[in-house]
Amino acid sequence: MTVKKDHYRWAARSFVAPGVLLVAVVLYLPLLWTVFLSFTSYDGLSSPKWIGAANYLQMFQDPDFLNSMSNTLLWVVGTLVVPVGLGLVLALLTFNLKGGVWLRLPFLIPYGISGIGVGLIWSFVLQNNGALDQALHFFGVVDNPRWLLDAPLNTVVMIVAAAWQGVGVNALLFSIGLQSIPKEPLEAARLDGARGFRLFGSILWPMLRPLTTVVIGLSIVASLKTFDIVLGMTKGGPGRVSETLALTMYKDTFVNSQYGLGSAIAVFLTVVTLLAAILYLREQLSKKNEF
Amino acid sequence: MNRTRRIAPIASMLAASLLLAACSSGGASSSQTTGTLKFVTDKGAWKPQFQSLNSVSQKDIKVSLNTTGYSDENQYQAFVKQSFRTKQSPGLFTWSTGDSLKQLVDQKLVADTSAIWKQEIANGNVSKDLEKYYTFGGKQYCVPMNIAYWVMYYNKKIFDKYDIKTPTTWAELMSDAAKLKKNGVTPFYQTTTLFTFPWFETLVAGTDPALYQGLSTGKVKYTDPRIVAIMNVWLDQEKKGWFNNAGTTTDPAQMLKQGDMAMINFGTFFGASLEGVGMKPGSDYGYFVIPAVNSSLTKTPVPVETGPMCVASSSKQKDLGLAYSKWWMESNAQSAWGAARGDVPFNPKATVKDASLKTLGTTVASGKYELVPRYFEAAPTPILNVALEEFGAFAANPGDPKPFLSKIQTAADTYWASKK
Repeated sequence: MTVKKDHYRWAARSFVAPGVLLVAVVLYLPLLWTVFLSFTSYDGLSSPKWIGAANYLQMFQDPDFLNSMSNTLLWVVGTLVVPVGLGLVLALLTFNLKGGVWLRLPFLIPYGISGIGVGLIWSFVLQNNGALDQALHFFGVVDNPRWLLDAPLNTVVMIVAAAWQGVGVNALLFSIGLQSIPKEPLEAARLDGARGFRLFGSILWPMLRPLTTVVIGLSIVASLKTFDIVLGMTKGGPGRVSETLALTMYKDTFVNSQYGLGSAIAVFLTVVTLLAAILYLREQLSKKNEF
Repeated sequence: MNRTRRIAPIASMLAASLLLAACSSGGASSSQTTGTLKFVTDKGAWKPQFQSLNSVSQKDIKVSLNTTGYSDENQYQAFVKQSFRTKQSPGLFTWSTGDSLKQLVDQKLVADTSAIWKQEIANGNVSKDLEKYYTFGGKQYCVPMNIAYWVMYYNKKIFDKYDIKTPTTWAELMSDAAKLKKNGVTPFYQTTTLFTFPWFETLVAGTDPALYQGLSTGKVKYTDPRIVAIMNVWLDQEKKGWFNNAGTTTDPAQMLKQGDMAMINFGTFFGASLEGVGMKPGSDYGYFVIPAVNSSLTKTPVPVETGPMCVASSSKQKDLGLAYSKWWMESNAQSAWGAARGDVPFNPKATVKDASLKTLGTTVASGKYELVPRYFEAAPTPILNVALEEFGAFAANPGDPKPFLSKIQTAADTYWASKK
């Protein structure tokens, strides 16, 4: 029996080993290497030189980095308000509606486009004298805002572009949540006269909590690492005014060849993302919040 | 069943070893001088032209290029830099002269090409003037991939419509710009990304070439009152509306064709882009050397750019790359390249599609002009990167130039302090 168990264990380990090896090689080793690089001065060509916490100190004294942090914060808030909020509204409006699926479908299509593709489409729309400006000119509006050139307007319009892509999938997730709510409490509430906001606030919203937790958690993580839409629309400019932390990390590493500083930003971003996710999920999934 | 259990670990180990084997490489030996050469370039759009030379190179030296073109400069540079740490470093690759090339030479990452230069200069295949861009510590590294002069391209139909002649003095150029603006045509092109430097380069080098050179050696500060004054000239022109909307992402060749602006300050390789959008040299577009801002200068500064073609010193295809590099400098190769790309040939014996380009090469080599390195190569990379962003930010929001210049100077101070 013991021999059989051992055989089973070895067989299991051998099947798991390639996967574990792959994860260690492509995830853990680069992570450790990045942490190491964050304490060095490294230009990508010569050998890394140990400089202690200098990159972290430089990072927090750099106005561009601080600006990136505030832009990223704006992305987190904006992404929660716009794509998640609109996704919920769309799901509620089409819930139990005949043909609701077909109403939600057009909102889902942009989700199939890559972030960089969304960036390119929207930069065509929002660039100076672009599609939107020309449409506004047609209606006699001439003094248009410079959508992609002025901060923080450029970050706001990029959040709108992200919303255009993300509303559909959020609506789909909320719809699944709404459909999974048991009918009994809903009917009971309706019999008691609950309608509209009262029904939403007292029944639907609390019962949607598990799904809302996931959607908001995913949204926070995704917005903290916003990169592709910004790269596609403004490249972080003009200057560096619309950069997010992920873009600052990329620019410092691959454009300015400051691999150490870029790694320090990567480590900082990873820690912030993990902390945000852990704190949020712990709060939401704690017993006091259980429905 | 037991057999299966015994086989499973062995199969897994075999799979892992196969995976590792796949990651290692074969490849040609270092002494090989004929065959297929792996070539990587950041000029992804030029891949068809590079590949079109294979029939000629195969015939001449039995070497063909297998070209991988990158369109993203940052991705390209990261790839090449990381490849030096492996045995996969490229047999041939394109790069930039100036500080970028110096960084590779300092780390002994590129192959010495002194012997090739010596022979090709002796054979009259390349001007000795070009050698300095490739010389570090008395030795040469890489060979010139191309040479480009930065001139002013213009839409000929617009110039004809408003009876504008190509200017020979700065005052004439300014007068032409004013005339165009008066007629509702934007005179000049500008952008907020990458090519944000040409107007700064034109204004500074054209005002005082020594001042321009001082910026690249750290002897002149970006906050120097003379630089501030030059930036204020630029600001004044911005306020007059002489530049297109900075935020546009439309292809500049298409913009010149559409008449979104009348002129664009660009390298002589831009002709291929203009032909790509259907413009013909002579009838649709022309170009002129930009007159010096300072009329008292005895020689008109002309920014020149030469991009290198390098061989990684650790490459398994080092000899093959050097054989191709030598061939590339000869007239057969340069004539074929001239026919394919329409660039100015650096080899005086080569033929070229657009004869006027060859004339330009000989004109700027005459005593009336002074070749100055393009800002992109003249400025050390860490300063350049900040400057490109700040010039872009200035073009997007023209205002007091001092904050933009201060930011560049901060990067310059850090860089020059690190060199002490």
